[in-house]
Amino acid sequence: MSTLFGLPVALDALIRVLIIVGVMTVVVMGLIYIERKVLARFQQRLGPTRTGPMGLLQSVADALKLVAKEDVRPTNADPWVFELAPFLVFVPTFLGFVVVPFALAWSVRDLDLGLFYILAVSSVNIIGWVMAGWASDNRYAMLGALRAVAQSISYELPLVMALIAVAMVADSLNISEIVRGQAVVPNIVWQPLPFLMFFICMLAEMNRPPFDIPVGESEVVGGPYVEYSGIRWSMFFLAEYASMFIMALLGAAVFLGGSAWPLGEQLGLPWQILLTVVKAGAIIFVVIWTRASFPRLRIDQLMSFSWKLLLPVSFAQIMVNGLILVYDLPYGMSHTLLAVCSAAGVLFVASAINRSVTRPRPRPVLISRSEAAR
Amino acid sequence: MKGILKSMATTLSTFARKPVTREYPETHKELPERDRAFPVLLWDKEVHEPFCTGCHACERACPVECMTVLMKDNPAHKSVGGESSRRKIIDKFWIDYGRCMRCNICVEVCNFDAITMNNTWEGHEKSVYDRADLVQDLPMLLSEHRNGELKPWVNE
Amino acid sequence: MTNALQPNSNHEFEVQDIMINMGPQHPATHGVFRMVLAVDGEIVRDLIPHIGYMHRGAEKLSETMDFRQGIGFMDRTEYLAQFNAELAYVMAVEKLMDIEVPERAQWIRMILCELNRLSSHFMFTGAFGADAGVFGTSFIYAFRWREEILDLFEEITGDRLMYAYFRPGGLAWEVTDNFVERVHQVLALSRQGIKDVDGLVTNNEIFKARTQGVGVLTKEQAIDWGTTGPVLRASGVAMDVRRDEPYLFYDQVEFDIPVGQNGDVYDRWCLRIEEMRQSVRIVEQCLTKLQPGPIQPERMPRMLRTPPGEVYIRTEAPRGEFGIYMVSKGGNRPHRLKVRSSCFANLQSLRDMSIGQYVADAVLALGSMDIVLCEVDR
Repeated sequence: MSTLFGLPVALDALIRVLIIVGVMTVVVMGLIYIERKVLARFQQRLGPTRTGPMGLLQSVADALKLVAKEDVRPTNADPWVFELAPFLVFVPTFLGFVVVPFALAWSVRDLDLGLFYILAVSSVNIIGWVMAGWASDNRYAMLGALRAVAQSISYELPLVMALIAVAMVADSLNISEIVRGQAVVPNIVWQPLPFLMFFICMLAEMNRPPFDIPVGESEVVGGPYVEYSGIRWSMFFLAEYASMFIMALLGAAVFLGGSAWPLGEQLGLPWQILLTVVKAGAIIFVVIWTRASFPRLRIDQLMSFSWKLLLPVSFAQIMVNGLILVYDLPYGMSHTLLAVCSAAGVLFVASAINRSVTRPRPRPVLISRSEAAR
Repeated sequence: MKGILKSMATTLSTFARKPVTREYPETHKELPERDRAFPVLLWDKEVHEPFCTGCHACERACPVECMTVLMKDNPAHKSVGGESSRRKIIDKFWIDYGRCMRCNICVEVCNFDAITMNNTWEGHEKSVYDRADLVQDLPMLLSEHRNGELKPWVNE
Repeated sequence: MTNALQPNSNHEFEVQDIMINMGPQHPATHGVFRMVLAVDGEIVRDLIPHIGYMHRGAEKLSETMDFRQGIGFMDRTEYLAQFNAELAYVMAVEKLMDIEVPERAQWIRMILCELNRLSSHFMFTGAFGADAGVFGTSFIYAFRWREEILDLFEEITGDRLMYAYFRPGGLAWEVTDNFVERVHQVLALSRQGIKDVDGLVTNNEIFKARTQGVGVLTKEQAIDWGTTGPVLRASGVAMDVRRDEPYLFYDQVEFDIPVGQNGDVYDRWCLRIEEMRQSVRIVEQCLTKLQPGPIQPERMPRMLRTPPGEVYIRTEAPRGEFGIYMVSKGGNRPHRLKVRSSCFANLQSLRDMSIGQYVADAVLALGSMDIVLCEVDR
């Protein structure tokens, strides 16, 4: 492994860690601001405008306020578990930053098992939620935590399967290689169904609408985080935005061609970074767009959607992929077959969503006023 | 699936519209001329005294009893050497803006057109830190019309 | 955690229901209302509503007000459909005193009541969307379009929410000169607003999955509890006071009454959206029939004194049948004023709607009834 500027390994690791922490903090605070502004525009209003020019210092103001808050702790809370829970949610999402590529040779560490690593690491936050809910000594927190965990586990599986499907097509788990392999055509063309599943599961993993039952305000207020205050609560919150950023980068890299498409290798570093930023930004925009548009799913509907629809479809996708790839067909034919089957999968999912709710139901009829009273 | 896409299309169309936020307090909405904020008393510029004679009509008509009225003999009446034709004039007048419900009844029953509802922004921006400060006395009630800050109100 | 299970000596598990208190302050607020749910896991077994947090003695206070002062109180009783509330009150006085209201005043009253229905239903779409979880977007839409209607009301009456504009005999003062153009403008904007809200929510599959089959009230249950308005019509009973006992000039305009088939929350939503469209239709017809004329009868006494008697007036408020029962013993004050509140009767049916459903659905059922706590508690 080459180290930065030939420094000793420990120092090099420390510098990389500092880079991660620094970049992520700034990015997460920027993301919060962007979300508030974009969400406001969807609702025909302005977002924050008063703190700093155009409201840019709003996140800083929020952070200062949260730091200054009193650290309230329930008396019967299990002290160690209560303290450690935010860290267990916060740190693993930051660890995912290690393998995400910004440009063709620019990730913190180019792991051969990059995809595997990121999926493994991002599931650790489930333990953090259970700890938060349990240690809070509050029945609503426990309820919220159990729901969050159930939702997370249910949507973890289709996420993994979707990424495996793409890894099969790209023939590698190394994210940088997957990016390079899309120099001509991005993977979404060959595999639209895994992209759809990745998007849906990403929303569910981050507890974002329409899957935000654990943090739904009108039901269990605040979910597993209800007993946390101040900077501890903000750690949960920041973890959500950090994982949104990382998942968006991952999606851009694995599905949309990352920094390699359309002309990544030829046009050099600034163009590559621009491509990554634009694609990740597009995914984040669509995530905020779904937040502004959809009501919340109920917990049982959420679970049945995952287990009864997404998971079997993802298994089917993997089997079809394997079947097509095992015969060494020429590139054009195999990839066209992959694209066609995947598109058929997307249509199937869409029609299943349709059929599950649009059972023919009589709509309200209109009785004209001049009809005689009954 | 169509419904979901339609929702997203609706949100996208609102995204493209201009925000409708009006940034108060830098910009204020244009108030219509009939706007009904809190009541104020009117000042007769020709004889330099209030129109109000203290007849208690508004005090009796008020549903929430927010007014206190005291009248006195007018020292500027013609019979004692002044120019006014009002025998009695208002001595003390208190309106508790905290009780007023802005129903306009006091304006309707006044025989002398002496009271009206403030239709400017100052009539609305009456926030104070202590509720007792909401009680307005006679000079405060007369000040806005004396300073020419009211707009003409269409009163039928 | 909680010890809801307490085995008795027979080593059998005795299942106790957990009592969940959705306290007077809701995040998805509908006013100060408290419900105690007995839940078994997630299924609601029993529901006990507690009201009275907003009781202000409006009926008793009205006994101390004469017939002009009491109009402002009716505004505050039903603060989302103010014109309908004022209308019932002044109609009661007019019936007792046998006053003939001029035509122009009646048409203007009708226009204002229907516009008020429109703004009240916009508020419903906003609040209910927020309940269902559309993070604020439907709420903001609803309030943005409602602002246009409230701006119009401010131009005419001077106040955005508490109008006190109707008087026994007609209106307090004449409307603005550009009334007809402004109403046309407001209608055009409201059509756009209905389209927005409809497109955002009604066909959304997730919304349908949340609201179809939820909070079902059968026809018999709806009639038994005395519900009226959209709650009753969604359960399949075609009852509308505007059609059955027309007041104002409802017998001279053409409009349709939407009637649901399933009695669930989705039907109530679709029904109110359709009612908004019908309101627009009614206002357009009224505008064509508006003629210049007086707004008060020529010989109105300055002091309103009603002869002894009693009267019950019912109107179709946006939430149901809003009735005023007024007893007068002569004099210029009502001896007794009773408000037949639509929301009070509708709220009683909440229990039947929620039993056997999930807790989240109970919240949706409450939202779909479009409760205004001021009216329930007076």
